[in-house]
Amino acid sequence: MIQIYPISESAVTIEFGNAINEALMLRIAGFNQLLKQKPFPGLYDAVPAYTTLTVFFDPLVVIRATALPGKSCYEKVSGYLQQLQGVNNPAPVAQNDIIVIPVYYGGELGPDLEYVADYHQLSVDEVIHIHTSAICKVYMIGFIPGFAYMGGLDDRLETPRKATPRSAVPAGAVGIAGKQTGIYPLQTPGGWQIIGQTPVKLFDASRQIPSLLKAGDRIRFEAVTLSAFQNHKQ
Amino acid sequence: MGRKNYRSQAVPVSGAMDALSAALANKAVGNNDGDAVIEFTQAGAEFFTDSDVLIALSGDGACLNCGNKRLPPDRPVFVPAQTRLSLENNKEGSRAYLAVAGGWDVPQVLGSRSTYITAQIGGLDGRRLAENDKLSHGVNLSPLSQSIVNSLKGDAVNFPNWAIARSLFLSANRKIIRVIPGKEFNWFDADSATHFFSKAFAVGNNSNRMGYHLKGPLMSRTMEGELLSTSVTPGTIQVTNDGSLILLMADCQTTGGYPRIAQVAEVDLPLSAQLKPGDEIYFTELSWKDAERLYLEQQKDLQMLSRAIELRYGF
Repeated sequence: MIQIYPISESAVTIEFGNAINEALMLRIAGFNQLLKQKPFPGLYDAVPAYTTLTVFFDPLVVIRATALPGKSCYEKVSGYLQQLQGVNNPAPVAQNDIIVIPVYYGGELGPDLEYVADYHQLSVDEVIHIHTSAICKVYMIGFIPGFAYMGGLDDRLETPRKATPRSAVPAGAVGIAGKQTGIYPLQTPGGWQIIGQTPVKLFDASRQIPSLLKAGDRIRFEAVTLSAFQNHKQ
Repeated sequence: MGRKNYRSQAVPVSGAMDALSAALANKAVGNNDGDAVIEFTQAGAEFFTDSDVLIALSGDGACLNCGNKRLPPDRPVFVPAQTRLSLENNKEGSRAYLAVAGGWDVPQVLGSRSTYITAQIGGLDGRRLAENDKLSHGVNLSPLSQSIVNSLKGDAVNFPNWAIARSLFLSANRKIIRVIPGKEFNWFDADSATHFFSKAFAVGNNSNRMGYHLKGPLMSRTMEGELLSTSVTPGTIQVTNDGSLILLMADCQTTGGYPRIAQVAEVDLPLSAQLKPGDEIYFTELSWKDAERLYLEQQKDLQMLSRAIELRYGF
């Protein structure tokens, strides 16, 4: 059962369910794709989250859009989303190739790798092996530009956040927090256990699509040597 | 104004906190509403003009002076080359906007000139302005801007006898912020709901462009469990785990996991933007329907204002 509701005068959310799961993520990605193919006048952007897709629009354009029935922007937009949802049982979203994220694990770039290994009574190599074996799915982008909320961390690596957050975690830092694993796209304060760093830019405002990842993507981490890391970074 | 097409990549909207004052400053000099303005937050500044400029100041946060002379806000001011101006913090409000005919010339990044400091993008090198920065304006003035310049140009600072009545765009009681109950409003008990709409909330000291902490009665949950992170937007009022309120503002995250107790009506966001730490506000309830109607009416009034300025200069 879907729900549609406004969150501001210029944004409407469509809620597809109430739990984090892959089927729902794919459904939202599929609906988002359909909306991109058939946008309504005044649409700025659509933001996928775990259970929702929120559309942001220009009310001045929407209210004048005679093609959209309704007396208010909310009626016009929610009506459009409803019929788009009705005509369609979104075909499963086309799966992109798995995106490989090279990571240098440990050392100064991964200061918490040994802590994570000790915490689980594993060797450092075992932690790296487990972390690079999983396929992680991107559920949503949020928090800071280009940050991917990912599922798929192996239970054996589930580790609590640091008691005291670091005041600056560098861009590219790969971390673990509870059941999540993720990559810091920008330098920010942060409390995740940092096990390595990727030379790949997760967010680059000079790219046409600045965020490397989007909801629905699948990624795999790959261990690289320090020199490969440095070469990539240049 | 603001970066509107990249929220799906978690890039905040940014742009002017008080979008109304920013738009009025632009309109006063004949600019487009989306031209870059400078936002000052409880700040003073001094400027020196290398060339003739047409500027306008709007917002409650500052006054503009030339020597001992106070230059009026909300209208165009011609300033000849080699003039020293000072911007003085005004305790009336928090923010002021300085527009220049032609718009401040900074590059567009991701479709906007707005500064977003965390990602170091927009504005001047993605950072706060600092002493000795040099800024220029776009060289192509609109025909309206050019007409205003021609009517005021001379050897001295000069301004016309008209001004935009900014107060007409704002509600009379600036302590009352109209809000629409949020999706999770009923996650809180009856006392909380009553307090929310009857008690004062004070803006906390640790408030910034991302959001304000609001100090007041704590909200108690009846509904346990966590909200799965979903979209939030400037004006969203979240309730943190200790029951206190956070009002999200222009640079806020695109998604959040705290329950959303209410959403500030777009037309009252400019009032919120002018609040200073310690200011007390009250919330009053509005329906989505009325909030949308008020917003569209305000936009129409702003278009009429632009038209009135054009007519004054023979367009």
